[in-house]
Amino acid sequence: MAQKLPNYLKSHRKRLGLTQDQVAFLLGCRSGTKVSRYERFARVPPLRTAMAFAAVYHTSVETLFAGVYDGVERETEPRARRLEAKLADAKSVQMSASKVTPRVQP
Amino acid sequence: MRSREKRETRILAIDPTTQGFGFVVLEGPETLVDWGVAHVRTEKTLRTLERVADLLDHYAPDLLVLEDAEAAGSRRRERARKLLQKTAELASRRRVRVKRVPMKAVKKAFAQESVRTKPEIAAAIARRFPELASRLPPRRKPWMSEDERMAIFDAAALALTPLLGRRHDRSRDVRE
Repeated sequence: MAQKLPNYLKSHRKRLGLTQDQVAFLLGCRSGTKVSRYERFARVPPLRTAMAFAAVYHTSVETLFAGVYDGVERETEPRARRLEAKLADAKSVQMSASKVTPRVQP
Repeated sequence: MRSREKRETRILAIDPTTQGFGFVVLEGPETLVDWGVAHVRTEKTLRTLERVADLLDHYAPDLLVLEDAEAAGSRRRERARKLLQKTAELASRRRVRVKRVPMKAVKKAFAQESVRTKPEIAAAIARRFPELASRLPPRRKPWMSEDERMAIFDAAALALTPLLGRRHDRSRDVRE
């Protein structure tokens, strides 16, 4: 199965029947050139612009930038697993230490 | 962390016309990713292949669906037949799977949805994807030539045929 596309900006724009210039106006850009670059995956928009796209298209950033999100998730997942293992190790060490250490009576 | 969503097959379908081609990109039977009509004026075959190559690069589809112009009953002329053949070769070189669908199979797939004629199929597609409703041409009179926007619906019908067939097969499996 295919990887998700980096973004679905063009699909959402065409669904609303807007031109790139009109979207650029809504985003506060001067022309549709930037919008075109984002739609062609030539550039990744900054967070504020991504959120503006989400607001204009009434959808989530995660849905709009599904491929980018998947990539970030794929990168984060092994780190999350490593952290989980690390925390579990720390917990087991702490528990065994508490069993060994005699309680000091006041 | 979000559990990863089920990936859908990305399908690109191309329908050549006299002045270019219509195309759609689908992700599964429910999601229309892109659609349109591309115009080429000079060196039609070469320019069309260039535009198709751009689409293949941009969307990296799993499957390219084309009309089977060699099937019995196909009304495609020599230029379109050659173009379809070259398009299939282009996709194969890029390791994209190619499926050739005869128009008979398209009609059969849509007959299960109780639509038979070309305008009825186009209307059914516009109902399925409301974003295409504005591109649906008016029903043509016998003296009118076909509207170029019809190529979008023909491409959509080609793209949906393998998916509809699969769905009907699955429902048949369940019944059996």
